[in-house]
Amino acid sequence: MKALRALVNALLFIPDRVASLAGNVVTALVQIWSNKIRSLLTVLGIIIAVTSIISVVSMVEGFGNYVTSFLRGLGTNMMVVYPERVRGPMGEYLRPAEMTIEDIQAVDRYATAVRRTSPVIFTRATIEYGRQQLIGIDLRGTNEFFQPIRNFYVDAGRFFGAVDVDAGGPVCVLGREVLRKLECDESVVGDFVHIDSQRFRVIGLLQSKGSFMGDNQDEMIVIPWTSALKMYPYRRNYLAFYVEAMNEEKIPDAEGQLVRILRQRHGIKKGDPPDFGIFKQDEILKEFHTTRVIATSVLAGIVSISLLVGGIGIMNVMLVSVTERTREIGLRKSVGAHRRDILSQFLTEAVVLSTVGGGIGIALGYAICYIAAMHPNMVEINVPIWSVALALGFSAGVGIFFGIIPAFKAAIIHPIDALRHE
Amino acid sequence: MTDAANNVASGFRAGRDVASEPRTGRLPSVGTDPVIELIDLYKTYRVGTELVHALRGTSLRIHENEYAAIMGASGSGKSTMLNILGCLDVPTSGIYRLRGQDVSRLSQTKLARIRGRQIGFIFQSFELLGRTTALKNVELPLAYTRTRHRRQRALEALKRVNLLDRAHHRPNQLSGGQKQRVAIARALAQQPDIILADEPTGNLDSTTGKEIMDILDSLQAEGQTIIVVTHEDEIARRCGRTIRLKDGQIVLDTGNGDGHPRRDEGGTDAIGEAATP
Repeated sequence: MKALRALVNALLFIPDRVASLAGNVVTALVQIWSNKIRSLLTVLGIIIAVTSIISVVSMVEGFGNYVTSFLRGLGTNMMVVYPERVRGPMGEYLRPAEMTIEDIQAVDRYATAVRRTSPVIFTRATIEYGRQQLIGIDLRGTNEFFQPIRNFYVDAGRFFGAVDVDAGGPVCVLGREVLRKLECDESVVGDFVHIDSQRFRVIGLLQSKGSFMGDNQDEMIVIPWTSALKMYPYRRNYLAFYVEAMNEEKIPDAEGQLVRILRQRHGIKKGDPPDFGIFKQDEILKEFHTTRVIATSVLAGIVSISLLVGGIGIMNVMLVSVTERTREIGLRKSVGAHRRDILSQFLTEAVVLSTVGGGIGIALGYAICYIAAMHPNMVEINVPIWSVALALGFSAGVGIFFGIIPAFKAAIIHPIDALRHE
Repeated sequence: MTDAANNVASGFRAGRDVASEPRTGRLPSVGTDPVIELIDLYKTYRVGTELVHALRGTSLRIHENEYAAIMGASGSGKSTMLNILGCLDVPTSGIYRLRGQDVSRLSQTKLARIRGRQIGFIFQSFELLGRTTALKNVELPLAYTRTRHRRQRALEALKRVNLLDRAHHRPNQLSGGQKQRVAIARALAQQPDIILADEPTGNLDSTTGKEIMDILDSLQAEGQTIIVVTHEDEIARRCGRTIRLKDGQIVLDTGNGDGHPRRDEGGTDAIGEAATP
């Protein structure tokens, strides 16, 4: 019964508590506003810290999302298999890694979880058109399945078909960036270019995919792998190939099957390391995700040091403020303020101060992201809402943590001493 | 814990009820229990290794509607007396009863509540909050005691000191006399049992000081109990009773200590004698 009455009484006082908190906030804002410069300098640390949190997190997130969507854009059920000499001195004693078209055909034929394969030759080439010459452009020699496997289609002209691949004809498909650098438009389709001094007919243009980590995917030449082999015959025994699994769930099956086939064909004994590598986008994704979390936490750790410094600044100024306003504290106490009233007044002031700093920091963070996003090569940046909440929460927390000592100091001042203070 | 909460809550309630009683409801308390009763009060401070005896066995009774001046040279103990009377400090030994309640052993929290509800301070240097309006300054004690209808009560108090037109001015837009009137309104707002004025005219010129004393006089005429700490004979002469302290003891008290304020008994002469040794 008593407890109930106490509860009812406590509830009756809630409006009073809210009102006094609101009063404290107003007092704090007045105090901050009347010491504009000092307040600004005080919260500068917090502002910088929060600005860094927002911009760093947003950019890391932006890059992260970009990489993720890029990796997904590669095709979710794709793998790349490439010959790889065993690393370290061990590799020196083994025979050189080899991968032949027969290996690829065997995988295509016997691996049931594999939908299709596409041999690929990676190299760089010089392309000439008219008086323009581009050096070191990525060239892929592949087959007609490149488009579906890589999820990378032409949107002008056509891609080469099985007939072109069989014939090893001089046809090529160009990326948009190559087109731009050659200073020509879509009318180039049907025209001839020179790739490493060989005449090639341009039959199609790839859709634009944008750049990835400074590596422009649109700066690419695609030709039939048979044609590439004619130009670069030493690549014959070092082919890589794309593998597309039946579906995403079949990726592990497909991998197991192709590993077994290749090990058998290459005569690798049980327990010996393979002489080929497999690039899978989901593994990369996982690895990338881990890296991203580590990067974010390291950056957050660095940033939290600046938050700490900002908090110390607030504590310092609050201590000064308490000393300066000792008489005010004495007056407040003499007209009936309890210790907790004084405590909450100064604590509120510290929290309001640091939260205002946090707010300014958030605005600046947004501004920095906005400005950074204007750079053409920049990835798309979105400020994640959780980082805003985190920044606000942290700055308020810093206010409480570093405000408690000055506030406590204010609360325990004896009213007589306070009123006598000069 | 629940008991404590109940006590707190009911304390607040009681406080509110008392505060909301109309002033006319008070009995003319001459002959009844005193508002203030000090019994054999001692206050000892330690300054470094030395003990300072600020009050040495002071006993005093002040009744409802008395108008008393506490005088004395510096070091006589009058500040200590004021601090104890104002519940800013507690005596080392002895008993202080305020309206019958022994407040000499209370905790800081309880003392704060008594300061807020039962005591109105007026200081020499006004002690107004510089960045808020006169009205907000007057509301301050009401806010700390969580009184209802603060604004209305603060406005009434400002009206009482004839400063209603300055309610929304800040202290730096007010003259010294006006500031002290705001301070008086602040002391009045809670309708306290006693008003303690510490050198209320000390920072004012004589004309303004007289105005302030006129206001205090009129408050006393309406039934307010007022204690003024001063070293000016002229001000003490306006009060019905003079209490002179020396070395922590009362050496002169023109009141009889248990009843009528004696404005008309020619205490002036006695003060004059005491003042000129």
